[in-house]
Amino acid sequence: MNPELFLQLDRVIHEKGRLVIMSALAASPELTFTELRDLLEMTDGNLTTHIRTLQQEGYVSVAKSYQNNRPLTTCSLTPSGRKAFAEYVNLLEQIVRQNKPK
Amino acid sequence: MNPNWAEENLQTIRTLMERSALYRRALAPIMLLAGALGITAAAIGMLLHLTTIFAFDALWLGTAVIVVFGAFLIARKQAFKEKEPFWSPPTRRVTQAIVPPLLVGLFLELSWVGSGNASSDSVTFWMLFYGCALHCAGFFTTRSVKYFGWIFLFGACAMVYSNTSGRLDDAVSPNLLMGLFFGLLHLAYGVYLYVTEKGKHAA
Repeated sequence: MNPELFLQLDRVIHEKGRLVIMSALAASPELTFTELRDLLEMTDGNLTTHIRTLQQEGYVSVAKSYQNNRPLTTCSLTPSGRKAFAEYVNLLEQIVRQNKPK
Repeated sequence: MNPNWAEENLQTIRTLMERSALYRRALAPIMLLAGALGITAAAIGMLLHLTTIFAFDALWLGTAVIVVFGAFLIARKQAFKEKEPFWSPPTRRVTQAIVPPLLVGLFLELSWVGSGNASSDSVTFWMLFYGCALHCAGFFTTRSVKYFGWIFLFGACAMVYSNTSGRLDDAVSPNLLMGLFFGLLHLAYGVYLYVTEKGKHAA
């Protein structure tokens, strides 16, 4: 395997917990915190920590609002998050192609 | 390091992207339509004394066809309004999930059609397979659909339990039971969805 490709992988996205969050958000315009938690079967604390990391990196935006007098947290990918995710998937595909037996 | 890790990561991404595209069309108007038609059908069945299995099935299958057609129109209208494709991947998955239990239920119910009167057993059949269909659909849409399916399944089991020696059949007409479960329950669920659904829906 070409180690250069591996080194180019975005470390923030490469972590399993954050990878699944990015994948889920990449397929929807937005998801609520509850939907993400249920979909990924994560604990509130775990999900909050990962989302905070992705938010600090500028990959995920978090909007807080109210619905029926209850707080509603909605997450979505930012344009840079979408770009970083696409690049990550491209690199993975390149690695897979390289590892395929010829 | 496992040489397949990249492939596994790609598979994880693919699976999650598929699962996260939830079917989120407004279910509330569809449930209200089903509820209203269910209550109407129950009233017709009781007023016209449609008690034979043939008349019972004809009434409720006819109602089911109208509900499906109405639901299709409502979902299509909403898709146009939101400028989204109607036959989206989540819509396809929900349809694929509900078709097998509904078809099996239909086949078994029709194989019963013959002489004699409808009983709570017919209602149990309808509820069991409809409950299974809702439960399957719940994996691709809002979770409350899954719980709604469980209500039908528990209700069907409770009816089997309470109908030992035909006590239930003596007390309540099958049309009334259908009206309660397929009419009132849908109406109640529709109201619940109206109160809780987000303003914005996307599929």
